[in-house]
Amino acid sequence: MSNNELTVIDREGSTHRLEWEPDQTMMEALRDNDLPVLASCGGTASCATCHVFLDKEVFDTLGERSEDELELLVEAEGYQECGSRLSCQLDFSRELNGVTVTLAPED
Amino acid sequence: MREQTAIQDHMAHFASAATAPVVIVGAGHSGVAVAAGLRARGWKGGILLLDAEKETPYERPPLSKELLKAGAPDESAVLRKEKFYQDKRIQRVAGAAVESVDRQGRTVLLSDGSRHAYHRLVLATGSRARPLTVPGARLPGVQALRTRDDALELKRLLVAGTRVAIIGAGYIGLEVAAAAAAKGCNVTVLEFQDRVMSRVTSVPVSRHFEKLHERHGVRFVFGAAVTEIEGGQRAERVVTADGAVFHADVVLAGIGVIPNQELAAEAGLECRDGILVDEDCLTSDAAIYATGDVTRFTSPIDGASQRLECIQNAQAQADRVAAHITGQPAAAPEIPWFWTVQHGVRLQTAGVRRPEDDVIVRGDPAGGSFSVIYARDGRLAAVDTVAGLADFRPARKLIAQGALIDPGLAADPGVPLADTILDDPAPAHADLAPARI
Repeated sequence: MSNNELTVIDREGSTHRLEWEPDQTMMEALRDNDLPVLASCGGTASCATCHVFLDKEVFDTLGERSEDELELLVEAEGYQECGSRLSCQLDFSRELNGVTVTLAPED
Repeated sequence: MREQTAIQDHMAHFASAATAPVVIVGAGHSGVAVAAGLRARGWKGGILLLDAEKETPYERPPLSKELLKAGAPDESAVLRKEKFYQDKRIQRVAGAAVESVDRQGRTVLLSDGSRHAYHRLVLATGSRARPLTVPGARLPGVQALRTRDDALELKRLLVAGTRVAIIGAGYIGLEVAAAAAAKGCNVTVLEFQDRVMSRVTSVPVSRHFEKLHERHGVRFVFGAAVTEIEGGQRAERVVTADGAVFHADVVLAGIGVIPNQELAAEAGLECRDGILVDEDCLTSDAAIYATGDVTRFTSPIDGASQRLECIQNAQAQADRVAAHITGQPAAAPEIPWFWTVQHGVRLQTAGVRRPEDDVIVRGDPAGGSFSVIYARDGRLAAVDTVAGLADFRPARKLIAQGALIDPGLAADPGVPLADTILDDPAPAHADLAPARI
């Protein structure tokens, strides 16, 4: 399977284009491309340091957030009901090829 | 010592420092995070990662959780893909045993006789399971859990009907108890104290998890001082001080960890149950850092001398090391946090509780989901969340602020935690930025 392309807007507003490999979660793709994603919990939906915003159209194509993910996000800086996700919970999928994500502010 | 560093840097320049890499000893969470952090912060020089283990560095939390589950793959999640190390020019030496450090010459000696110069040395040697020392402790069937190999051996042994005796009701012991019970083992937990997780949590949380385990068939024996493991070819019985005998096919000792400080101590670095480091994670040698489980340091939050055995600290200290080596500012100190999952129920803790803290139960444990607030001199010091994370992030922020809490309001789970804070005439930690969460 070929890689996805991902466009990332960082916290300073700069745009990065990166390759997202099929065996990675979105968090891993962000982290391994040196974007400032701390991912303190290693991808277990425990910390919310990998919080990103997605466009509503993209967000709507994804499955429901787990209770843990939602509880962490609701208290996060800049939470968007129809846009916030923990990127560690987003597996590679064709539907996410070419999407743009924005790193949420650190709080 | 610090003043000497500049001179040594200058002198060593002619020998090796200009070309010598940052050498990292240990490829657990913290060691790998230092390597990755150096590259993310723009470090252009060499990075040599000396890994005592053979396989690609891996995540440890799943070893006592997901990995033990029936049907789970034997592969543990890796910290970074193999390709990452190549792409980032991180030279990893697998199976490297570091014999000694020559601080004067700034080299490390490996057991294969090779010697490696360092520009800066980072000790990320971690900790090891505290060994059981009673007679019989070395019999086959007596296990510890620290490495992937330990976990795979344990997984092989935990089959339905196996009698499992677990010594110590801490995180590791209880996570294994849950995994073993789920596989149909007959599980007995022997604990010296009078409740589970007594070092890290309060009575209400202990009681909640005891009941949870008991509902899944786990049996607890408190006040149990193990005096001997008996058996012929393998462990067969665990004997306690009162003469009680527990038949067991597998014995797991989960009785804490010991920092791997020997390399540092033999090199003359200051150690005291951990390698002593300052706020930049420097040891008593200004060319040598230490990071992660192996360190002892003064908490920037409350001034306590502490060792923290957690992923959060391993990551945060690694970032301080990478920042200092590259001459960049480090992030603000963080409120430490911890988590465990037992029978699918998550206990996640922000801050470090002390036994003398005031305890406020927030919500009804019988409902399954609740929090426990720990207040010290009226200020929020730590929070346990059980089966719910709604209080977790607010707690970390408020602990960082040293917020004054209204105990009456805090007991009401209907009131958001942030709304239980009192006006504060003298903020406790005005110098601390909010924690990154």
